[in-house]
Amino acid sequence: MAPGEKIKAKIKKNLPVRGPQAPTLRDLMHWYCMNTNTHGCRRIVVSRGRLRRLLWILFTLTAVALIVWQCALLVSSFYTVSVSIKVHFQKLDFPAVTICNINPYKYSVVRDLLADLDQETRGALRTLYGFSEVKSRKRRGAASENPAWAGIQPKFLNTIPLLAFSENEKGKARDFFTGRKRKVDGTIIHRASNVMQVHESKKTVGFQLCPSNDTSNCATYTFSSGVNAIQEWYKLHYMNIMAQVPLEKKINMSYSAEELLVTCSFDGTSCDARNFTLFHHPMYGNCYTFNNRENETTLSTSRGGSEYGLQVILYVDEEEYNPFLVSSTGAKVLIHQQNEYPFIEDVGTEIETAMSTSIGMHLTESFKLSEPYSQCTEDGRDVPVTNIYNASYSLQVCLYSCFQTKMVEKCGCAQYSQPLPPNASYCNYQQNSNWMYCYYELYQAFVKEELDCQTVCRETCRFKEWTLTASLAQWPSEASEKWLLRVLTWDQGQQINKQLNKTDLAKLLIFYKDLNQRSIMESPANSIEVLLSNFGGQLGLWMSCSVVCVIEIIEVFFIDSFSIIARRQWQKAKEWWARKQTAPSQQGQDNPALQMDEDLPTFTSALHLPPAPGAQVPGTPPPRYNTLHLERAFSHQLPDTQAPSEP
Amino acid sequence: MLQKLKRGGPPPRSGSPRSRPEQGAEERPALEPHRAGNEPTAPPPRLRAAAAAVSVSKMAVEGGLWAASASGPAVHATPEQSHTERLVELPASFRELLTFFCTNTTIHGTIRLVCSSPNRLKKVSWGLLLLGTLGVFSWQLGLLLEQYWCYPVIMAVSVHSESKIFPSVTLCDMNPQRPRSLRYHLEALDAFAQESIYSLYKFNFKEGRDTLFTNVPGPEPPFKLDRGIRLQRLRHLGNQHKVGFKLCNSTGGDCFYRTYSSGVTAAQEWYHFHYMDILGLMPTAGEDSHQSHFVLSCRYGSKDCQAKHFRTFHHPTYGSCYTFEGVCAAQHPGITHKISLVLRTEPQVGFPLLSTKADIKVMIHGHNHTPFLEHRGFSVRPGTETTIGIREDEVRRLGSPYSRCTDGSEGVDVRLLYNSSYTRQACLVSCFQQLMVENCSCGYFLHPLPAGAQYCSRARHSAWGHCFYRLHQALEDHRLSCDSRCPRPCRETSYKLSARTSRWPSAKSANWILGVLGEQTPHQSPSPRSHVAKVNILYQELNYRMVDEAPVYSVPQLLSATGSLWSLWFGSSVLSVLELLELLLDATALALLLGFRWLCGAQVSQRGTSTASGPACSHAGPGAGTLKSEPLGTQWGLWTASS
Repeated sequence: MAPGEKIKAKIKKNLPVRGPQAPTLRDLMHWYCMNTNTHGCRRIVVSRGRLRRLLWILFTLTAVALIVWQCALLVSSFYTVSVSIKVHFQKLDFPAVTICNINPYKYSVVRDLLADLDQETRGALRTLYGFSEVKSRKRRGAASENPAWAGIQPKFLNTIPLLAFSENEKGKARDFFTGRKRKVDGTIIHRASNVMQVHESKKTVGFQLCPSNDTSNCATYTFSSGVNAIQEWYKLHYMNIMAQVPLEKKINMSYSAEELLVTCSFDGTSCDARNFTLFHHPMYGNCYTFNNRENETTLSTSRGGSEYGLQVILYVDEEEYNPFLVSSTGAKVLIHQQNEYPFIEDVGTEIETAMSTSIGMHLTESFKLSEPYSQCTEDGRDVPVTNIYNASYSLQVCLYSCFQTKMVEKCGCAQYSQPLPPNASYCNYQQNSNWMYCYYELYQAFVKEELDCQTVCRETCRFKEWTLTASLAQWPSEASEKWLLRVLTWDQGQQINKQLNKTDLAKLLIFYKDLNQRSIMESPANSIEVLLSNFGGQLGLWMSCSVVCVIEIIEVFFIDSFSIIARRQWQKAKEWWARKQTAPSQQGQDNPALQMDEDLPTFTSALHLPPAPGAQVPGTPPPRYNTLHLERAFSHQLPDTQAPSEP
Repeated sequence: MLQKLKRGGPPPRSGSPRSRPEQGAEERPALEPHRAGNEPTAPPPRLRAAAAAVSVSKMAVEGGLWAASASGPAVHATPEQSHTERLVELPASFRELLTFFCTNTTIHGTIRLVCSSPNRLKKVSWGLLLLGTLGVFSWQLGLLLEQYWCYPVIMAVSVHSESKIFPSVTLCDMNPQRPRSLRYHLEALDAFAQESIYSLYKFNFKEGRDTLFTNVPGPEPPFKLDRGIRLQRLRHLGNQHKVGFKLCNSTGGDCFYRTYSSGVTAAQEWYHFHYMDILGLMPTAGEDSHQSHFVLSCRYGSKDCQAKHFRTFHHPTYGSCYTFEGVCAAQHPGITHKISLVLRTEPQVGFPLLSTKADIKVMIHGHNHTPFLEHRGFSVRPGTETTIGIREDEVRRLGSPYSRCTDGSEGVDVRLLYNSSYTRQACLVSCFQQLMVENCSCGYFLHPLPAGAQYCSRARHSAWGHCFYRLHQALEDHRLSCDSRCPRPCRETSYKLSARTSRWPSAKSANWILGVLGEQTPHQSPSPRSHVAKVNILYQELNYRMVDEAPVYSVPQLLSATGSLWSLWFGSSVLSVLELLELLLDATALALLLGFRWLCGAQVSQRGTSTASGPACSHAGPGAGTLKSEPLGTQWGLWTASS
C-alpha cells in the first residue's frame, strides 16, 4: 500500500465522526428500530406476520401523530393569560375631578361676537316656526321685508343656507331665506325619508354643504327635528366665530373659578378656588380640575363615605346661558387620572341644578399583558400617531389625535373642539372656505372606520377606572332653602350681584364608597417549564420517548439517512463518471471482445484489452495465466482466432 | 391443518426459512428435518377434506387471515424475510410467546417479575415494587381524574376594546290604547273600580273626571263584568288595613285571598286582573290602535335615525313601544356614538289605575331579545335630559360538561313562544304559558299564545283567575319545573346602566325649543316643559369586560399529566399497553388453537382412524395446557416450531 493510502486509512480509523451504522437505508432503519428506546419501533421489526407489522407501523405512526397534534394544541394555547383579582384596602389617591359649566361663555360677554348669528337664527326660527304671515310673505320672495334682519345682509345664511324640504317635491328644497326653490342633487346624507313618522308636517329642515366652487357635489344634511337642525347649524357657525378668538380672550369670557365654585370642602377640611387648576375646553369653556396641581402631591382620602370626599356647591348661572348652543342646564363632571386628558363631552356626568348629586366611586385598576398576549401598549410610544394632547396616552387620545392629524392633512386646518397639532390653526370660514364640507366627509369616514384610526390605535395596558354610582336628592329642602340661599348670596357678594335662586345652584359630592381597590391583573398562564413538562408528558404517554429519543430520531432519520443517500449518490456518480471516462477509449478500439462485458474476460479477450492506464507492465498477463501453455500459440495466431474465441 | 386451509387464499410457503437459527439454535435443528421431510408429502386434497371434517376454529375460517407459523424465539425477522411471511403468524407455544414478549417488550422494570430468571428474592422484591408503583400510580391518577371530572373552570375577567354592536333600546309611552271594540267593557270596569274604591275609602273619583263616563257607546255587547271578584277589606284576617280579593275555582270551592297590605297595590292588582280578563275577550282588538308619536326626534351618532332601525309594537299595559335596533355594524366603544332622543309624555287616557306614573319606560337589551319591561325597564323623568351610560359585561360559559347552559336551541325542551333569540326570561315565560294552557286550558293575555290555545277570559274560562294565581304562586316558590328546564344562555351580555340628569330645556332655550317641538305636532297643544324629556344613551366606557370560562384541565393537559405520571412510575407508554394487549390476544388465540387441537386429538384417538391426520391431533392434547412446547404433526407446519 502506498504511504498516502496508509495515512488516509489511519485518519479514517481515528475520525471522530463516522458514517452511518449500516450500508443501506433499510439496514439503518432496522438497526435503529432494534436499538432505540422509543416504543413501537422495535415491534415493527420483530413482529411476525405482515398484518401484525402493518398494525405496528400504524400504531407507531398514530402515536407520533397524536404527539404532534397534542403538542401543537399545547403550543397554541401557550399564550393565554390567567387573571387574578386582588382587593386591597389602603389609603386611596383621590382622582382628578374636572368640573365644567355646560354653558361655555357668559352670554352677556360673548353676545357681541355672536350678535349677527343670533339674530339670523332668530329670524330663521321665526320664518320656519313663527308667524304664518311671515311664511306666506316668504313665498312671494320678500326676504328683506322680514323685520328680523331688515337692513342686514345675512352672511351666515348665505354661506350655509338652511333649507326646508317638502315631502311631495323630491329633489327640490326651498331656501327659506331667499324663497327660491333650489335643486338638491348630489348625495343627500340620511334623507329623512319616513323617519320615525314622528311628525305629520311635510317639512324637513336641513342644510347643504358644498365643496368650494363645486355645487354639483354637495352633501345635504337633513334633520327630522328642527331643534337638531338649528342647533347643528348654529354650532357650525359658532365654531367658525370662536376659532378666530384668541385663547386669553376666551378664558376671560368664561367663568372664573370663584364664580363657579361657591363652597368647597375636601376630606372634612375646607378648600377653595386655589385648589383647582384651569383647563380650557373649546366646547365647555373654562373647566376646573381638582387635585391636579402640578408640583403638588396628590391628595388622598383617609376614609370612605360621603363625609370624606369632595363637596362643592356650584353656581350655574342660568341667566348667562346661550339659548341656541346649549339646551340643558347644569354642570358636567368628569373623574379621571391626574395626567389624563378629560374628555368631558364624551364621558362626563351631568349634574342637575336644585339637586344634590352624590357620586360614589369604586376604583378598579387593570393590568394587561402586552405582546405577545395582547395588542395593548404600555405608554403609546409604539403607536404611530403623534399625541397632540398634553396628557398621557389613552385610546381616546389616540383616536382624536389621529382624526385631528388627518383633518389637518386633508382639510388644511384643525377642528375646533380638539387641541391644535403643531403648525396648524383652527378652521374658520375666512381661511378655509370649505372646511365644513371637508370635516363632515372626514367624520363620516372616521365613523365608518375608513381612516384606519381604529386599527392603528391600541388600548393601554394599564388603566384605572372609577365606577360611579350617582344618586339624587332634592336640594335645598323646603325648610332650609331660605336661610341657605341667603347665606350663600352673602358669601358670593363680591362675584354676584343678585339674589341666588335655587335653580342656579347644584350640590355635588364625590367620594369613595369604600377604600378598597380592585386590581385585575393578568399573568401568563403558562411558563416555559410547564410547556416542557407537558411536552414530556405527551412524549412519555404515547411512546415513552424523551428528548434523547428525539435527538436519536434526528440523528438517524435526518443525518444518517441523508449521508447514506448521499454516499450512494456519490458512488453512482462515481461509477457513471468512470464509465464515461472509459467509454470513448473502448469505442475507439472497436474490439468485439468488449461486447460481452458482463462475462469475465476470457483469456483471449483479455489480451485484446487496452493497456490499463498507469499499469506498470502493459499487457503483462496475470501470473496464473502465465502457467497456461496456450499463451504463445494464441498470441501468434491472434488475428485469426478472433472470431471463434467466443461463440 | 390451518395452513392447508389457507390454500384457498394466499399460497402457504410453510417450508420457508422463516427463522434463522441464531438464537433458537437449540430448538431449530430438531425441527428442520421434520419440516423438510413432511411438507412435500402432504397431499392437498386429503387435507382439505380433513379440514372440512374438523370444521376448524373460527380463526381459520375467517378469511384466512391467520396463518400458523413457527416463529423463532426472538429477534431475527430481518426484512429480507418479509416476502416469505404470512399476514399473521402465531408462535408455537406459550413458552415461545412469553420468551418473545420478554425479549422484545419495552416495558421497564416491573416486567422482570415475569421475565427474569426464577429467583425467589428477585420475584418478591419486584412484585412488591410493582404493587407499590401501581398503588401510587393509581392513587395519583385517581386524584387527577377526580379533579378532571369535576370539570373545574376558571373565570377569567378580561378587558377588551374591540368593536361592539350597539344594544337595542326599547321605549314605551306607558299609555296603552284602549281597543275600540272593548270600550264598553272597559268603561264598565272603570265604573266598577270607582264603586269599589268609594265603598272602601269613601273617595269619589267622579269629581273632575266626568267626561270619561259620559260618552259610553250605544250598542252594549252582552258581557257581564265578574262582580264576584271584588275588592274588600279583609278584617277577618286580623289586620284592619289588609285589602284584597277572593278567588275561587269553578265550583266555588278552594277559595283563597290575594291580600295586600296597601290598598294602592291591591287596587292596582285587582284592576290589572280585570283588565287582562276583558282584553282576553278579543285578543286582536289591541292591534288596531294607532301608534302614538311620542318620539319627537331621534339621532344616532351624527345622523337621524332611519325608519328601518325602528320596530314598533303595542304592549297591553305599556302602551306603544319603539325598539331601536341600532345599527348593525359593529362600533368601537371608544367613539362617541350615542342615541339622542327627544320624547313627549302624554296625559293618560282612561282610568289611572293601570299605571300610576306619567313617564317613559326605557329598556336597553341585547339584539333580537324580547324586551321584558316589567323586569328591567327604567323610567325617564320629564323635564330633564337623562344621559344613560352603558357598561357592557359579557359572560361566556363553556357549556356541557363544564356548566349547564344553552346556545339557544339545544338542550331546551321548552318551545319558545317569542320570535326572538333565546333568553332565560323568554324561556321562563314560555314555560309558564305552556303550563298555564295545560292546567287552566287558556293562556295569560300578556304572554304570547302557543298554537291552538285561547286567551283567558271569564266568558270562556270561568275560574281562570284562581288557576292563574295558583300557578303563579307555584312559579314564584320555584315549585314549577320551569327553573330547571330553562338553562342560562352560554353567551350572555348584561348592560349596566347609570343615569345622570340635567334640567332640560334650560330656561333660556325653553322658548324656542318648545316652540319648534310644538310645531312638529300641530294638532296638539304645545307641550309644556313638564311633558318633554331628552334621553341620551351612550357607552360610558371605552372598553367592556368579558368574563370567560376556561377549563382548568384541557384534554392535552390531562393527557400530559397522565403521561408524566405513567412515565414516572412505569416508564411505559400507550404502545407498551398495546404490546400487552397483543400478548393477551396471542395467548388467547394460542389457547384456542391448542385446545382445539387437543379436542381433535382426543376424537381421533377415540376413533382410531386415519393415520395421516393422526399425528397432528394426537399430540395436541398434552401440549395445550402447559407452556411446554412439543413437536407436532407436519400439517401444523410452522406451528410446531419448537419441541
